[in-house]
Amino acid sequence: MTNIQRLEAGSDNDETVLRVTGLKKHFGGVKALDGVDFSLRKGEVHALVGENGAGKSTLIRVLTGVHTFKDGAITLGGASFAPQSPQQAKARGVQVVHQELNLLSHLSVAENISIEALPRNRFGLYDRAETRRRARLALDAIGLSDVDVDAVVSTLGIAHRQLIEIARALQSDSAILILDEPTATLTDREKLRLFDIVRAMAARGVTVVFVTHHLDEVFAICQRVTVFRNGKTIITQDIPQTSPAEVVRHMVGREVGQLATKRPAIPANVPIALSLKSFRVAGSSSADGVSLDLRYGEILGIAGLVGSGRTELLRGIFAIDPVVSGTLQRDGVDISLKNPAQAIAAGIGFVTEDRKDEGLILSMPIAANTTLANMNLVTRLGLLRHRGEASIATEYGAKLQLKFGKISDAVSSLSGGNQQKVVLAKWLATAPRVLMLDEPTRGVDVGAKAEIYAILRDLADQGMAILVVSSELPELMTLCDRILVMAQNAIQGCVMPADYAEENILKLAYRQS
Amino acid sequence: MDTTANTRQGLKELINRAGIGLALLGLVVFFSVFTEHFLTANNITNILTQITINLILAVGMTFVILIGGIDLSVGSIMAFAAVIAGKAMTMPGLGPTEAILLAVMAGLLAGMLCGLLNGFLSAYWSIPSFIITLGMLNIARGAALQVTDAQTVYAFPKEFSEFGSSLIFGVPVVFILALLLVAVAWFILNHTILGRMIYGIGNNEEAVRLAGHSVFRYKMIAFTICGLTAGIAAIVYMARLNIASPIAGIGFELNAIAAVIIGGTSLNGGRGSVIGTLMGALIIGVLANGLILLGLSDFMRQMITGVVLIAAVLLDQYRARYGRST
Repeated sequence: MTNIQRLEAGSDNDETVLRVTGLKKHFGGVKALDGVDFSLRKGEVHALVGENGAGKSTLIRVLTGVHTFKDGAITLGGASFAPQSPQQAKARGVQVVHQELNLLSHLSVAENISIEALPRNRFGLYDRAETRRRARLALDAIGLSDVDVDAVVSTLGIAHRQLIEIARALQSDSAILILDEPTATLTDREKLRLFDIVRAMAARGVTVVFVTHHLDEVFAICQRVTVFRNGKTIITQDIPQTSPAEVVRHMVGREVGQLATKRPAIPANVPIALSLKSFRVAGSSSADGVSLDLRYGEILGIAGLVGSGRTELLRGIFAIDPVVSGTLQRDGVDISLKNPAQAIAAGIGFVTEDRKDEGLILSMPIAANTTLANMNLVTRLGLLRHRGEASIATEYGAKLQLKFGKISDAVSSLSGGNQQKVVLAKWLATAPRVLMLDEPTRGVDVGAKAEIYAILRDLADQGMAILVVSSELPELMTLCDRILVMAQNAIQGCVMPADYAEENILKLAYRQS
Repeated sequence: MDTTANTRQGLKELINRAGIGLALLGLVVFFSVFTEHFLTANNITNILTQITINLILAVGMTFVILIGGIDLSVGSIMAFAAVIAGKAMTMPGLGPTEAILLAVMAGLLAGMLCGLLNGFLSAYWSIPSFIITLGMLNIARGAALQVTDAQTVYAFPKEFSEFGSSLIFGVPVVFILALLLVAVAWFILNHTILGRMIYGIGNNEEAVRLAGHSVFRYKMIAFTICGLTAGIAAIVYMARLNIASPIAGIGFELNAIAAVIIGGTSLNGGRGSVIGTLMGALIIGVLANGLILLGLSDFMRQMITGVVLIAAVLLDQYRARYGRST
């Protein structure tokens, strides 16, 4: 027994390339890393999971030389490793592909791949032919033979851009490649391709660190998983020896209660809050458009692949983007909305997909963000009542179990889940009868997710009509009374709770018309 | 998170905010010690008179910079508004009161109109205000020269110039007017929906739009306010010098922008205050005055003002970076 273990430990397959012991990193009084132990074996795909703020990002920043550290030790390939800058980390073979891509969008693929060290010819001038040759090699190495090295990056889809970043990271001999939320913007098919490439890289001896919120991906592609919580390593497990439920338990530190999915169907005599007939937004590829009925007290889900027109539909309803044809009824009356202000006046709220760009004013206080969509609550004759504003925001904060320091703190001081609650508070402050949410829990940790689900269910029980767009099928199946599936800007079908299964939804989503 | 972190944060915030005031105080102390005439009533009256026009322009500029814009045309608009007001005031057959009233209205309207045009063009077509106001810089200047045939307008009622040079307890009335503008601007920015929207747009235009507000309208208002202050500056300038010259105010936009930026308002918009702008204008004025009293040439003064501007922006960069990392 012990012999075998020693044998395994000594075998080439189990060679430890990186070892982190007792790593601590403080920012002022905040302990971002509070004693992290972590190791990587050569050629493995290692998942790094944890709620937002658990310390994953900080560890990555330390490993890639963005942050320095004082307490603890890191060894890389047997030698001590303490990068003072990203350049030093790269020189030792540690590369990272960030969630927000770092490509120069107006340059060619080839130029992007070589941008860190553009080749020169013997006259010291830029060598275009060599740049193209290197790019071809780098792309072929990860199976991207179909990508033209002269293509301008801005003409490529998001999935290709990500793969090009990976190609760039890999062309210099990387020992360790860190992928930070690589699948956040990918469709399922693109995901599978990425996984193939990751597997191939690992087979060549590259160690891949896979940072993600999606446990299905962890179990699909990783050999080991390390769970972080509150700046500490909780556990490292071999994937075959654990289960998603167990990983979640380690992440949260407690059991996550599932909402009861069994609910009585909404009776047909409940009035319809929002009705669309042949509703087509600009750029819609469907001739018939979208027709749907949303009843009071109902949570209606919309599933579909990225690009199926889900977000565009919501933006059309909220009159952000132009509507080409079709009708929109509120409470059975035809209305035409010209701008978001009219939509709000019609009792519609819209929690947008991207809270940083569209939902929040990050550097402004929680209170100011809460009242942004309904200034009437806190003004008299155009003048602000700061005290009234603070008390209203505090009231909504309490309702949504918002965790904050002071109501006058900037929203940027909050975690992702709490930021999302502020967006929610902002729309609830408009007292909407119809609430639309686009990816309501993107970038939100597991605990806050469950809280947001409970809040939405509660709102529906109080009679609010809720329309949810999400890429996470478990989310829709947990939350919704019905799920409509979109593809090519049209509804492909409706899935009722009795038939809830990812397979049933995906079948509709992949239908080609 | 914990209270010590909070108080430390509060202290840093305080130093951050008071920093500009401390810098001004330091300058005042320095010049009081090292020059003979700095801290005399006469000289202080002088400084206040000299900074008044820049301060008025800078108040309006603060609104535009807070929404993430810039207005390069205020100097030209001031000249245009001045010659329009001058023409109105020198119309034959008007009594002094009527003439002054008409001139003030005409000047303010001319300024507001130019500002409105700036705002409309840049907001409606989403063109950077840098370009639009660069165009307006030429248009308004050309219009001022065209209207007057490049001649200076003069011969105003003497009641008008008395307003320009009168003092209350040694403080120029025109400076008190500028202070009043600062107070009104402060009130608007901190206690009205308009102010909230201006900060909001500077930080995240899209979020404001999706919350059901007309970004277009608030941008127009911000530029119109800037045009209005250029009109007010025009009236003050005329009252002070008793003429309206079509070549007045050349380069004034740069000093106004400098006052706003030195006052700690971010050139990216969304962060800053009009109190800072007041400090910024005072610093520029005190520096100019004090350096000349020290015997430095006007060229040296110009160089030092430039250095202060760059230092202020560098400081702001550090502040922004620091703010993000905590």
